[in-house]
Amino acid sequence: MHKELSDLINRNVSGANAVAYLTADAKKFDSSITVETSHIYKVVEFLKTNKTTSFNSLHCISGVDYTDYMEVCYMLTNYDPSAVRNLTLKVRVTDRVNAAIDSVVGQFVSADFLEREVYDMFGIKFNNHPDMRRILCPDDWEGFPLRKDYVAQKDYNGMTVYPDNKMNMEDREFIVRQNMIKKAQAEKAQ
Amino acid sequence: MQDGVVLTTLDEFLNWGRKNSLWPMTFGLACCAIEMMATGAAKYDLERFGCGAFMATPRRADLMIVAGTVTLKMATRVKVLYEQMAEPKYVISMGSCANKGGPYWQYGYHVLKGVDEVVPVDVYVPGCPPRPEALIEGVMTLQKKIANERLLRNKWVKHA
Repeated sequence: MHKELSDLINRNVSGANAVAYLTADAKKFDSSITVETSHIYKVVEFLKTNKTTSFNSLHCISGVDYTDYMEVCYMLTNYDPSAVRNLTLKVRVTDRVNAAIDSVVGQFVSADFLEREVYDMFGIKFNNHPDMRRILCPDDWEGFPLRKDYVAQKDYNGMTVYPDNKMNMEDREFIVRQNMIKKAQAEKAQ
Repeated sequence: MQDGVVLTTLDEFLNWGRKNSLWPMTFGLACCAIEMMATGAAKYDLERFGCGAFMATPRRADLMIVAGTVTLKMATRVKVLYEQMAEPKYVISMGSCANKGGPYWQYGYHVLKGVDEVVPVDVYVPGCPPRPEALIEGVMTLQKKIANERLLRNKWVKHA
């Protein structure tokens, strides 16, 4: 199913470079199609307007941080029971500092808040988005919380985020000690 | 004549009035608010304690029940709401999140570690979320606390 879909995308959207990633059980939602980052709008437009697929709902956009690159996943759905029901579409964002991809709000209005949430948590900007602001965190928040290299703020508006008298320091020291032991064991093994 | 006279102290009379007409603020932050609503509804009936009139504005309320996770974004708003309430005013911290951060106590970058960081708390109700009985226990504990207040040693008078 994903194989045919990726061929269909490649035939109709030039330069999309769709690659199907298949898992053993095709009925599970783990299978996906990865497309070129710059062509995401055209691919989504094609999948929506085209008669054979006609995905009529975008129900989720999520970001993933793989430390050396980031990924944005689009979950498309078709409510017609006779058609292909679900599709996971993925694009890669390699530039972490100026991460930016095209917005799909022009095709699916539901992408508005979903893209804002991805921006809030991962710092990926969406070009041509009507209202690119943070959605969950306050406007003066520093950093993007779901990135792997995120460091929590010490103070926010005069409030201490981790007050020492309320933290269980024994637990924290235990974790630090365990990490040191693991490191030493790994070095020994080498 | 002797049936028409009741002798009491001013302290007791004021405290009796205060503790039996605690008006909480309509203010819920997370799942604890669902339990708070259940407490106010017919089965547990917070009105039995004179505490069921949930006011829609902080200016008419005496009691703030902080029911739920206080995020850093909300903490400034909680403080403003507390300051808008008229004195005497009381705070019940309901549930683990409001008490000390709850499940977010160690890695919750966005959660205030206890609402007592921003407002003074009178009664802590433990639980995640506390059952309505626990909240009623908290309200009754607060009522006992109010019953022992002395007008001239009152913190509200001292600050006036």
